[in-house]
Amino acid sequence: MKKRKSVFIFLIAVFCLSTTSFQQVHRDQKQRKINDSRNIHMRQAKIPCLNDGLPYRADPKGSSYVSDQVLVKFKSTLSSKMVKATIASYGLEQIKRIPQLNIFQLQVPENLSVKEMISYLEQNPDVQYAEPNYKAHLAVTPNDTLFKYQYALQNSGQEIGVPGAPQGKSNADIKATQGWKETKGVKEVIIAVVDSGVDMEHPDLKDNIYSSGKDFANDDLDATDDNGHGTFVSSLAAAVTNNSEGIAGVAWNCKVLPLKVTDEKGEAFYSWVIEAIRYAVDNEAQVINVSLGGNMPSHALEDALSYADRNDVLVVAAAGNDSGPVLYPAAYDKYCVAVAATDYKDSRAEWSNYGPEIDVAAPGVRVIGCVPTWYWGEETLPYGWGFGTSASTPHVAGMAALIKSIKPWLTPSEIMKIIRYSSDDINQIDYPGKDEYLGYGRVNLEKALVPILISSSEE
Amino acid sequence: MKKYLCAFVLILSFTCFSYAQFGYDFSYKDMKIKPGIGLEYFTRTISWDDQTHSSTLRSYFLTLNTKIEFQWGFSITPVLGYSLSNFDGLVFRKLPISLELDVGDIKGLIFGGEVKQNFITIEEIQFGARGEFLYSYGLKEDWTIPGLIVEGTVEGRPSWKRILVGPILKYRGFDYFSPYVFVGYDQLWGTFSMKETIQDLEGSEDKKIKGKGFVSASVGAVYELTDKFHIQAESRLTPYEQGADFGILLKLNYTF
Repeated sequence: MKKRKSVFIFLIAVFCLSTTSFQQVHRDQKQRKINDSRNIHMRQAKIPCLNDGLPYRADPKGSSYVSDQVLVKFKSTLSSKMVKATIASYGLEQIKRIPQLNIFQLQVPENLSVKEMISYLEQNPDVQYAEPNYKAHLAVTPNDTLFKYQYALQNSGQEIGVPGAPQGKSNADIKATQGWKETKGVKEVIIAVVDSGVDMEHPDLKDNIYSSGKDFANDDLDATDDNGHGTFVSSLAAAVTNNSEGIAGVAWNCKVLPLKVTDEKGEAFYSWVIEAIRYAVDNEAQVINVSLGGNMPSHALEDALSYADRNDVLVVAAAGNDSGPVLYPAAYDKYCVAVAATDYKDSRAEWSNYGPEIDVAAPGVRVIGCVPTWYWGEETLPYGWGFGTSASTPHVAGMAALIKSIKPWLTPSEIMKIIRYSSDDINQIDYPGKDEYLGYGRVNLEKALVPILISSSEE
Repeated sequence: MKKYLCAFVLILSFTCFSYAQFGYDFSYKDMKIKPGIGLEYFTRTISWDDQTHSSTLRSYFLTLNTKIEFQWGFSITPVLGYSLSNFDGLVFRKLPISLELDVGDIKGLIFGGEVKQNFITIEEIQFGARGEFLYSYGLKEDWTIPGLIVEGTVEGRPSWKRILVGPILKYRGFDYFSPYVFVGYDQLWGTFSMKETIQDLEGSEDKKIKGKGFVSASVGAVYELTDKFHIQAESRLTPYEQGADFGILLKLNYTF
């Protein structure tokens, strides 16, 4: 029996030793370094503010629509011959027909006002709707320089600019650096920027331009920026990043499709915006950034948004900077992510528009971005500080592009919900949950992109 | 899946063939029934997402088994038990909001069995084949998704299967214990199903997992405590390209 016992003990000892010595834990090492973006050189040049440091606002003075145009949609039962005959019978002249949406941009005869013509058209049972060709306006301004000043992407409480400039608050950012661990975007995802065009030769942008785009104001295929706003907005969404100069974009590798909808005065008309949205959808854009808006609702504009939605394209739009109601198209809640503005301390920008349509917020105060190389002249770096929801919007559009990059199967509605639900409720003390000032909160790329750790203790 | 079942069926067929070959007349006297309990633990490095990522599956289970042993050297052991499987580190990137598991052990039931056939004995060395199949059916569990502005939950259910087939060499020269070496084709595969619900945002993902390595080597021994009780201990090593996984097994059986 003794012999049995000792053999048994020996066996157990050998067994334990052999098993414990083999334990190996293999962990997937996929950590990506993202600090390269901080190596961007910063020349100590003074970077001016665009628009005198003020956000672009809707001009309360002057007409809110084109004085001699209407946008008309006829019922689909009406044949094209009958449409032509109807247009002629009212003395209208066709300027343009927006394909797919079947919206007619019509010239009103001189002897009638737009309002009179609309009232006549609305009495016609063959007309689905008739409305003015409203003016849209740029909701934010461009500006900029370097990553260390991009508090929106990473806020460590740094000074945002030269010494004496405002100081940020730690973590009052969109958690971009954390989100980039998961993805920096793919070149197949295209962000259409419906704005004033883009400076195609800007060193911090040119490699990320998908095509020369389209100019709807001048009706040609060259969307070169003659204002500055579009270049600024585009750079925030998808500046060339990790290239040792300038700024970082939210979606490093995604491409920008510039669509120019402003004329030399910076005015944009709904018809151009509508056409641009349609063009973006038909030219493979997956995300559309609209950092502009108008005060008036428009069936035609809503139709364009619906068209984008039906074709799996997400529209992200600026709420506006008038401390008033949310502008259109952002106010079309069903089809559009409406973006409000926060500042470098995670507070709401006082001028940010508000209302139940607000979905989320993103930094829009003292945001640095690219401006066209001609903007300041040769002596100054082509960057500037911008203010407004126009600056907030491309942060969210870039975020949507990153989500689309890693989850291309998601619908616009699903991406919209991810953006909403992953936000940080930064004003929860005063307004817990969704509110009309910041919506669900300031966006958070980390939560939207990086796998969230779920543990049993969270039950 | 098919090939593993084929291998299992092959062993069974071979057993039946050998039984027919030697032409035993079956009698209950030729049969021994050995009920018992077993405890097993293993770690296995698993790969997923087209083998681009990996993590570790840790599982331990308590089983009730009944070994039915026949005189002609064949035994079959159905197994039923309770398992705890830990899939921490598994990442679900196809859900609308991506998630990484850190939930610890997930309860489950385990079914399966083992067949063994001795082919030939040369002096004290016995040569045979052994096959084993286990299926762990995880119970559904819910977890809360932290950090979202709205309430979000995720419901998960894992399952895995393991097959082990190969030759076994046993030394019977000692009085009370018989050491053995077993080298086998060893495959583990399974699915972890997750369903995410965040208000009106829903998504699901069935993640396929596959154990790294395909051969394992085991050393063990059967020790006769008394005439009726015997205990089996075994340790297993499953090497793969960058490392090795291990497992241990302990069984106590009583002979009627």
